[in-house]
Amino acid sequence: MSWVALGLILVGLFFLFVAAVGVLRLPDVFTRSHAVSLTDSLGAFFVLGGLALYQGFSTNLFKILIVLVLLLLLNPVISHATVRAAFRCGLKPWSKEDA
Amino acid sequence: MKIFFLFVLITITLLIAVYLFRVIRGPTVFDRVLGLNGISTKAIILLVVIGTVYERVDMFVDISTGYALVNLVGSLAIAKYLEERGKSFDVSA
Amino acid sequence: MKSSIYQSLAIKTLSFFLIWLLLSQSFDLLHMGMGILAAFGVAWFNTDRTASGLTIPRLRIVWYFPWLVGRIIQSGFHLSVLILHPALPIDPKWILHRTKLRTDAGIVLLGNSITLTPGTITVEVDSQNLLVHAMDDKSADDVTSFRIEQQIAGLFGEKGME
Repeated sequence: MSWVALGLILVGLFFLFVAAVGVLRLPDVFTRSHAVSLTDSLGAFFVLGGLALYQGFSTNLFKILIVLVLLLLLNPVISHATVRAAFRCGLKPWSKEDA
Repeated sequence: MKIFFLFVLITITLLIAVYLFRVIRGPTVFDRVLGLNGISTKAIILLVVIGTVYERVDMFVDISTGYALVNLVGSLAIAKYLEERGKSFDVSA
Repeated sequence: MKSSIYQSLAIKTLSFFLIWLLLSQSFDLLHMGMGILAAFGVAWFNTDRTASGLTIPRLRIVWYFPWLVGRIIQSGFHLSVLILHPALPIDPKWILHRTKLRTDAGIVLLGNSITLTPGTITVEVDSQNLLVHAMDDKSADDVTSFRIEQQIAGLFGEKGME
């Protein structure tokens, strides 16, 4: 069981790493927010899922699942609010022609 | 196993440094807000990992839940503020 | 499916109380009594008495989340390839998406699912029109193919979808 958990945590770390690379590389707010939301949903999902599996069947598993569900519910709200603020302020999104 | 979790902790901390670069560098204020959001997500994961290392997950999960909720309220307040502010001021720098 | 105010109050109280039990993990009378009082209070303040109650989705919602996680993993790998590719072959675009869902709960769930899927973000919602920012054509396909929408329409028992 703990080897599966270990693998899940490593996959999650990979996604967190990809998201950090995206935050560095991508050209504007809108595309960067894609990278951040990738971390939030996938990285957190795999790392917390792995940690929950590592706990075995106990109340701690459900407590970690509460944090996971909370993250999956709240993070889209936050990134939507930020991107909408950027959009309403009239920020120009980067497009392929700008490159 | 403890060494593996230490490795996870160090990796996530290094990734937070990458986000910190984006927060400091900008270029727009929304990049900073996004960077802070990413940092807080990683802080929540970090708290749960620390709880696993010290075998006190029940306590650290409560802390990270509270942190997630506070982060939600803070981020929404900042986003709302910038939305109103950006209509009359130039926020691109 | 609409339910009465008392039914939605009872459902909310019960679910809040379950979360309380999980977080407090103490099962003596004092703590459980405090928990049920707090759960009922929060449910009381959060029940909307002007509308006709809570919209309860069908039980298939239990199946919806694993399905969504599968979609998220697929598009997550696609986005990872895009980001790690040396040439950065992204092509950001706007999609104006008109949904056929009518209930508020369905539209909220749709917007949340779109934002949760890597590569697409809901930027503006105006009753039934969603403005979505997508990373490239393949990511945009998640929204334009009505795939998520059909699942949600099945959850809330809405007609008019094939």
